[in-house]
Amino acid sequence: MTEELMAKAMFVLYAVVVLGGGLMAVFSRSLVRALVGLILTLFGVSGMYMLMAAPFMAMMQVLIYVGAVVVLIFFAIMLTKAKTAGEEGGARSKVGILLAVLGMLAPVGIMTYLCLQMPYAFAPGVQPTEVEIKALGEMLINEYVLAFELISVVLFVAMAGAILLGFERRRGQ
Amino acid sequence: MTLFGLSPLVLYQLVALLLLLFGVFGFIWRRSLVGMLISVELMLNGAGLSIVASGQLTEAPAELSQLSTLLVMGLAAAEATLVLAIILVVSKRFGSAESENVSELKG
Repeated sequence: MTEELMAKAMFVLYAVVVLGGGLMAVFSRSLVRALVGLILTLFGVSGMYMLMAAPFMAMMQVLIYVGAVVVLIFFAIMLTKAKTAGEEGGARSKVGILLAVLGMLAPVGIMTYLCLQMPYAFAPGVQPTEVEIKALGEMLINEYVLAFELISVVLFVAMAGAILLGFERRRGQ
Repeated sequence: MTLFGLSPLVLYQLVALLLLLFGVFGFIWRRSLVGMLISVELMLNGAGLSIVASGQLTEAPAELSQLSTLLVMGLAAAEATLVLAIILVVSKRFGSAESENVSELKG
């Protein structure tokens, strides 16, 4: 019973972290603060992976997102010399705000409705079990070897493309 | 673990939907390309959370969901790399990384 209570408390804590981080990421004037909000959200989601008995995913989340993607975005902020306050400041048109709210509510509203209509919505659910990393690795080299190779090709092409774009910029000067 | 009578699967899906909500809103709301990139990362992260929840909390194979999320994370990293390069080129060529300034067609 105490474990159940702890799980609920941790879920609520992580949900609050995700909510706060998301709000910070979307509404901060300064892009660096928005990035800090993104990091908060990523850590909250990582905690949720832990709660779902998927510690490997939690570790990969921290390694890939916080370790790589966030650092890349930070480079983007620094290299473009983004103004810390000016860019996102200023008034927005009423139509723009309305469009943003509508565009946000349309897909999310429909999906939330569908989610709550499902027959399992109010069932106790399945107890999650931890997956061995060995099982993941075996799947990657047996059935899903093509997907595994393709993702490495995609990463290589993205890296090569990024370098190419960087060089072209320098040659033009 | 049920909260407000909702099953854990639905709870995690709702958090994932919350991330999608922030992502879509931020993508329209933000003016700078970097802010839009941050919003896209929020959306992708929500997708990953949703996939892992569907695998772990139903009868579906859990390994498959974790591998899918790993693929999503890899794609997110590749996308962030390319968008970083594109933002650099755009900010050199147009002098700012705001989406409104990046237009050459007049009309």
